[in-house]
Amino acid sequence: MYDKDVKMNLEEVIEETRDFLSEEFEVDRDLILPENSLKDTLDLDSLDYVDLVVLIEENLNIKVSGEDFKGIVTFGDFYGLVQKKLGI
Amino acid sequence: MIVSKEHILDFIPHRAPFVMIDGLVAVTEEKFESELFIDAGNILVHEGVFQESGLMENIAQTCAASFGFLDRQHEGKPKIGFIGAISRVTVHALPPHSSKINTIVKPTHQLGNIFMVTGQNFLNGKLLLECEMKIVTT
Repeated sequence: MYDKDVKMNLEEVIEETRDFLSEEFEVDRDLILPENSLKDTLDLDSLDYVDLVVLIEENLNIKVSGEDFKGIVTFGDFYGLVQKKLGI
Repeated sequence: MIVSKEHILDFIPHRAPFVMIDGLVAVTEEKFESELFIDAGNILVHEGVFQESGLMENIAQTCAASFGFLDRQHEGKPKIGFIGAISRVTVHALPPHSSKINTIVKPTHQLGNIFMVTGQNFLNGKLLLECEMKIVTT
């Protein structure tokens, strides 16, 4: 879990994110690349996005809303959101 | 009791014989509580025991009624809710008929019109079933 008192850099956050996403959504970690589609790679339906919100909160200690996902297409976009939320 | 058995049908679309909630005990944005007396003739009683399907339906109807109650408090039109998914179900015990159960539901996350909730049913303080549900409202 991301600890705000133990400052992680973006690369470390990305690696941790790849770990929990691959485990939870049972996809090959190597497919979680910045240029790949978040929705297609993780095979997300609308209900799965709630699981994603829960995972992000539990693992990265940040809250995201439906509005935050607007414009998020690739993992790269997603990492940008995480970076913004964490202020790193 | 904030919504009694006489008025519960005003808050849910379900009708007999599939009404699995008697009334709402308390409702806040953070926590919903309901109760149900399990009649011997309840259609989800099998061999004298209320089935886990009944306990989960009771959780879902507690959500539906509570969301409806909150909508009315905010002077909005009550939404219709559907079970989108059920996960992390643990059944500890099943209650016999002619007993009264209490149910507590806590919304934990919301993404648009999809709510993640945790639900627990109790009989005399003893945990019967716990699960997570995704409720989709329209």
